[in-house]
Amino acid sequence: MPQFESHFFSSLIFWEIVSFGILLFILYKYAFPGILSVLEEREKKIKDSLEQAEHHRSDAERRLKEYEAKLSAAGKEAEAILAAAKERAQRLLDENEQRLTAEAERIKGDATREIEQERRKAVQDIRSQTTELALMVAEKVVQRSLTEADQRKFADEALEALSKSYQR
Amino acid sequence: MEESPLHQFELENWIPISIGGLDISINKAVIFMWVVVTVAAVLMIMAGSSRKLVPGKLQSLAEMMVDFIRSMILDTMGKEGMRFFPLIATLFLFILFSNLIGLIPGSYTVTSQIIVTAVFSFVVYGISVVLGFMLHGAKFLGILVPPGTPGWLVPLMIPIEIISQVARPVSLAVRLFANMTAGHVMLAVLFSLTIGGGLLIGWLPFAFTVAIYGLEFGIAFIQAYIFSILTCVYLGDAFHLHGHDEHAH
Repeated sequence: MPQFESHFFSSLIFWEIVSFGILLFILYKYAFPGILSVLEEREKKIKDSLEQAEHHRSDAERRLKEYEAKLSAAGKEAEAILAAAKERAQRLLDENEQRLTAEAERIKGDATREIEQERRKAVQDIRSQTTELALMVAEKVVQRSLTEADQRKFADEALEALSKSYQR
Repeated sequence: MEESPLHQFELENWIPISIGGLDISINKAVIFMWVVVTVAAVLMIMAGSSRKLVPGKLQSLAEMMVDFIRSMILDTMGKEGMRFFPLIATLFLFILFSNLIGLIPGSYTVTSQIIVTAVFSFVVYGISVVLGFMLHGAKFLGILVPPGTPGWLVPLMIPIEIISQVARPVSLAVRLFANMTAGHVMLAVLFSLTIGGGLLIGWLPFAFTVAIYGLEFGIAFIQAYIFSILTCVYLGDAFHLHGHDEHAH
């Protein structure tokens, strides 16, 4: 095999050691520190990011709970306000209704009373005017033949008849 | 016209150089070592210079490789193994780019030279032995006696373990060399069959060539990975003798 020709060994050994030494020096000096530091930096960065993410997550969870609590409190408050408003509106409505009913009742009563009064007065007026009118008529018709008593009697009868017809 | 499938591994001195009797002539393999060094260095520097938090394609690729090697070291050696990160990562990249660039037709696979892989493996093994004696002193010889060995077996175990220790660098070197050589020989054989077979039957070995080429691409990665993880394991053995440091019983 050509690989066992020993007269190439010396140059191969020499140049191998020189080449390897140069490569080792170059990589040791210029390549490995950079790459290793980047690797370590990235490892650290990933670790930090994970920690930060975990921190943010717990923070967000805490905040969410807070907001949920606040939200439910606000909901309860709104419900209470709504209920109070409803109650108040109902009360106002009831009050108004009562007041209006009473007012209407009062107006109706007043009107009834007034009408009654007017009616009585009218009846009174009519009665007195009719009496006078009847008397006047009777006087003219039976002025000479009738006594005072007869006159009164006729007048009353006439009045009776009149008031009956009127009342009907 | 028929050329040997091993012809591709032959070298010839293009520029003869000699320093004090040591022949360091430039040949094709040396040129491709330089190509490997240049490509690896340029790619990694380009990838390393864009230090974006959200990486681009090249940066992600380089970071993937670096992260891959880093986790390999952390898994086998632990935190203190990161001292060897530059060595192991450079080894991985050198072998990977050698294997990959060797797949370009007309190029040369540096790692198909047994001497190249042997230098890597013996250097790595030497470092692990030196490190072991530096950290544990003479107790590092205890690596020859696996924990839990009964006393009467010790005289037998020590020669066996010596063999297994010697086998480490040898197998490390031969594995990479043999894989690369075998792959390229297979491709050369299949391709010469394609040419020889003509249009009528040549398509069959050609289809195999394509399939094996894809396989070789995977092997390029796998062998680079195996070489570096075994390096990690051997160095890890030196760090944690029998795993005593981690779980002392």
